[in-house]
Amino acid sequence: MVMACRVINKRRHMGLQQLSSFAETGRTFLGPVKSSKFIIDEECHESVLISSTVRLLESLDLTSAVGQLLSEAVRAQNNTYRTGTSTLLFLVGAWSSAAEECLHMGVPVSLIVSVMSEGLNSCIEEVVSLEVPVHHVFDHIDNTKTFSGLETFSVSLGPFLQIPSDTGLMQKEHDLKDVAPQPLTIHNLSGRPVKSPQLFRPQAKVEADTNTSQTPQTLKNSLLADTCCRKSVLIHSRHLNRTDNSQQISKPDGFLEQHGAATPQAYRCNDLVELEVGLSHGDDSSMKLVEAAAQLQYQNARTQQGSCAMPFMFDISRIFTCCLPGLPESFSCVCPGYITVVSTSSTTLIKELQNQPIRVVLIEGDLTENYRHLGFNKSANIKTVLESMKLPQDSSEELWINRVLEILIKFNVNLILAQGNVSEHLIEKCTHSKRLVIGSVNGNVMQAFAEASGAVQLAYITQVDENCVGNGVCVTFWRSIPLDVVDTVDGMAIMLKTEGINLVTVVLTSPVTAHMQSKEDRFWTCASRLCYALKEQKVFLGGGAVEFLCLSHLQILAEQSLSKGNQACSGWLHNTSSWLASSLALYRPTVLQCLANGWHKYLSTLIYNTANYSSEFEASTFIQHHLQNAIDSGSPSSYILSEYSKLNSGIFNSGISNKLGQIPRVYDIVTPKIEAWRRALDLVLLVLQTDSEIITGLGHTEINSQVPEGFLFL
Amino acid sequence: MSRLEAKKPSLCKSEPLTSERVRATLSVLKGIVTSCYGPSGRLKQLHNGLGGCVCTTSQSSALLANLSVTHPILKILTTAMQNHVSCFSDCGLFTAILCCNLIENVQRIGLTPTTVMKLNKHLLRLCISYLKSEVCGCRIPVDFSSTQILLCLVRSILTSKPACMLTRKEIDHVSALILRTFLLTIPENTEDHVILGKSIIVPLKGQRVIDSTVLPGILIEMSEIQFVKLLPVKKPGSLKVALFCASLSGDLSDTGEGTVVVSYGVSLENAVLDQLLNLGRQLVSDHVDLVMCQKVIHPSLKQFLSMHHVIAIDRVGVALMEPLSKVTGTRPIGSLGSVSPSTYGSVKDWCTAKFGFKHFFHLIPNEATVCSLLLCNRSDTAWDELKVTCQTALHVLQLTLKEPSVLLGGGCTETHLAAYIRHKTCNEPESILKDEGCTQTELQLITEAFCSALESLAGSLEHDGGEILTDLKYGHFWSVQADSPSIVNWSNLLSRCGCGLRNSQEELSWSFLRSTCHPFAPQTCLPHEAAGSANNLTLDCFTAKLNGLQVAVETANLILDLSYVIEDKN
Repeated sequence: MVMACRVINKRRHMGLQQLSSFAETGRTFLGPVKSSKFIIDEECHESVLISSTVRLLESLDLTSAVGQLLSEAVRAQNNTYRTGTSTLLFLVGAWSSAAEECLHMGVPVSLIVSVMSEGLNSCIEEVVSLEVPVHHVFDHIDNTKTFSGLETFSVSLGPFLQIPSDTGLMQKEHDLKDVAPQPLTIHNLSGRPVKSPQLFRPQAKVEADTNTSQTPQTLKNSLLADTCCRKSVLIHSRHLNRTDNSQQISKPDGFLEQHGAATPQAYRCNDLVELEVGLSHGDDSSMKLVEAAAQLQYQNARTQQGSCAMPFMFDISRIFTCCLPGLPESFSCVCPGYITVVSTSSTTLIKELQNQPIRVVLIEGDLTENYRHLGFNKSANIKTVLESMKLPQDSSEELWINRVLEILIKFNVNLILAQGNVSEHLIEKCTHSKRLVIGSVNGNVMQAFAEASGAVQLAYITQVDENCVGNGVCVTFWRSIPLDVVDTVDGMAIMLKTEGINLVTVVLTSPVTAHMQSKEDRFWTCASRLCYALKEQKVFLGGGAVEFLCLSHLQILAEQSLSKGNQACSGWLHNTSSWLASSLALYRPTVLQCLANGWHKYLSTLIYNTANYSSEFEASTFIQHHLQNAIDSGSPSSYILSEYSKLNSGIFNSGISNKLGQIPRVYDIVTPKIEAWRRALDLVLLVLQTDSEIITGLGHTEINSQVPEGFLFL
Repeated sequence: MSRLEAKKPSLCKSEPLTSERVRATLSVLKGIVTSCYGPSGRLKQLHNGLGGCVCTTSQSSALLANLSVTHPILKILTTAMQNHVSCFSDCGLFTAILCCNLIENVQRIGLTPTTVMKLNKHLLRLCISYLKSEVCGCRIPVDFSSTQILLCLVRSILTSKPACMLTRKEIDHVSALILRTFLLTIPENTEDHVILGKSIIVPLKGQRVIDSTVLPGILIEMSEIQFVKLLPVKKPGSLKVALFCASLSGDLSDTGEGTVVVSYGVSLENAVLDQLLNLGRQLVSDHVDLVMCQKVIHPSLKQFLSMHHVIAIDRVGVALMEPLSKVTGTRPIGSLGSVSPSTYGSVKDWCTAKFGFKHFFHLIPNEATVCSLLLCNRSDTAWDELKVTCQTALHVLQLTLKEPSVLLGGGCTETHLAAYIRHKTCNEPESILKDEGCTQTELQLITEAFCSALESLAGSLEHDGGEILTDLKYGHFWSVQADSPSIVNWSNLLSRCGCGLRNSQEELSWSFLRSTCHPFAPQTCLPHEAAGSANNLTLDCFTAKLNGLQVAVETANLILDLSYVIEDKN
């Protein structure tokens, strides 16, 4: 055993460079408009279509140490939150370039680490002001409006989106005529132009906006009245939890912030549809399914618990997705119960079992003769001998199958759900005796059936007794699929249900098989977004608002530390006694600037990906413009909030003042987003601080054959 | 047919240390450990180059466990370090760097090994007796009635491991948790001997560090299905517990070699299952409420037990067996035969808990000196590092309980000690010369080698090109930006010394650490109030550092004394 050691950052930091080049591959996944990629295996000519960061990294060969750390980080984010991976990947790239830039400028590594880390902390504290509380969204669920009613909004883009047709009201009026005839169930729409949620409008209009922000006093008053009577419920924000808007707020770091013309509003979200629209990030087809699933769960919970119940929790573990490739998109739907595909040979069986409650047994593992529970070690050295000459008539499997059937007949069981594989032979035999066996059932589905039918999950069929059998399961065909479509699907979809089962199946269909995976991924992303928003009872104002606040906050911090020197940042270093503490002031603006550049890059890529800017440079100029405005305004968060409230002014002027807040906003989830930032920075800083790679266990031959430069041996 | 092969002659190398290859590998090793040292130390990515998991670390224990060195001299070194780390957890890098420095410095002066060894040992004795003496200027007695010093100690350990990726807030949180964990393992009523309990670190990867917490009692992870099944069965009052270390999975335990012949129709599996069910019946009739098994329990036995309202928890794992048997007072049962009632124990209560995505069975013992530290961190590699760091910190607290002293950290102890030794050998050389029978020059050379080894050890804390100063009153460690103007008002440029005890405004004078300044007597006897007032000190474990110092000097002596390496080539 030999060990090699390589110094990896003598002149240039290889690790950081690797990180930024890995991250480059995922930049088109940022934002609501994602371009798919084909990944082609040169050797076996197989290709996959991917449209998410997780799938991208799964398909890439990241065997280098840094690549592995990156995919570990992305996997961890995905496993914990199922969202935020594109943000993570992009920021890893942006910040590793930022860290490298700092290195080039001669900033000591330890200082980059502490300033970046504390800089991000400070951002995270700052963005609390853009949190929107989410409360009682299910209280209004009985209203007639549904997600589909909101479709006509252009919700696909974030507030940074650029509407090209912003050429004046005439145009808008014209657009309206196209929009109006569509069936709208939203009560705030009375044939008025609907403005899309754009926080920042194209440059051409910015000046005009500044003018319109000086709205007549009366209007502003009514706006204030509206906010006041709503009583702010933001408790975490130091900007928003007061009703007196002209108050001067003294920030902890000493500078006074005046809430001037920018009127901060108490945003809150207590409408489920609004929340869903905001969280859909352009993927309304998936979000529509999520909302339908949530509605079903809610109704189920209400009927189960009666009216006096615990607060409803949206539980995505009780959602199951069933993918049916080959069917047209329009077949996607949400149904209560469990939908799965079984072979067409059981058609007659299903017909017979239909319309009657049947009894069910749940098997935790495989349903085969040889299956033994986990942790059971089979002895290899046992030999069975025959003592008499009489040969047994049946093979041992047949004996086993007969025993299984006996048990099933004894307890009158017509349905067996197994989490593992099921012996083909047994399925056949059971079909003959009018019993349906389904294998490879998801664990959550099993759990749902256990709860609803009273069945107990067992390891072996021999354990079955009367207490373990569940009752009242119904089997039906899922829906009548047109005959010409049936052929394209191998097998048929059936639906299993019991009274009050807490399980919702989302059927995802796509005529293009290659899309199936990404469709499923997208559904789960939307579902987890909604789940986290409801769980945390808060969301961020989205569409780049939080990132923009981070950017302007860091910019202000950097400027402050230039002018104020060392006082502002004492305690930013672990090790306050080192010389680094005293030279912190010198380098702090540089590092903060680099960190801010990362945000800048993020925002301009987001806009470039989303809207129709011809170059990233244009997008970047646009951000720069607003950044300047935000900084000049003295309080970026108020600036952002006022830009948000300007969105409403269009409707405002039209006289529907009481419907303020019905404009679909874009929202983001809080903790998963912040964790993605932290993970990204952690990874960058981890790699930044690494100076060598130690490879253990290399054989002599391997070293000789691949002698890479710069290795030292021990 | 056997074939005889002539034995190869053994290979004998003289003066191994003079070989270029040994020097080169030693310097690589020194480079690795030196660059890892301290809070701003650089990290190493350890992996096998074949897609195995990547460990990012700067800790001696992780490094040494993964380093595979070939040369016997390096082996002596790494083995000595590993032994030290396994006994004391902390100060592994300190030991390794000091040892390498000593070897390097002594080689340069070219004295005979006997003289070197004798004098090194003498200087070591001087160090130890000074560090242990009442007048020692870099040792602070620990007052257990306040948490201040202990928190500083834990925080220093956490700060010195950058691969944990903790922010300041997280460091404060984890430090407090570690201290609380430690306190939970101290029994409330003690007579003569204090027997410390145990803390179990429960992994919860992927969550925020801030979500880490500590709970008295034992947490056993289990599946969601088990968790849901457990919810309805809740009985008040204490429970009778049986704990099995034998597998109850129903397989045939070790049939040995050869073949077991069974006649057709006989099922050994069923026979074992019958035996298990008999056991179950006995447990039920003995009114056992809770059955725990290190390994797997057969599903049928589980079903039987749950039918009789007995909670069955399996796959507890070997790590939890000892604490479980301790807190419940059970004797682990190793056979499926009849169970003696004396092996049963009891617990006060239990409940279920959910953290992150994991479900736990939480056992609350009668007398709790066992606690579970639920440790979270975002990434696997950072979690691994944090886990080892927490273990180190807990061990250090135990060592501190035994020997209630801490040393000043941040390089101050090393520079102070070097100043003390320099002064001692310069001003009172007579006794040493007489005892050891060496010349004044030899003593001077070795003292210089020894002290500069200590000083460059302290200097290894600096990784960003700063320079090290020492003050001429206390002999503490001060760092300053490189290329500072030479005539400068130091007191304005510096702020605090390495350990944080001294302020630059105390009318001190400074000199560069490696410049040849006149030996001075560092002020001894730490004033009491100094220790009490400062709440942001960097501190080191006294016992671990003292032992590290000894191991380093003795290992260096051993290596310097090697004159032949004989290798058996067969």
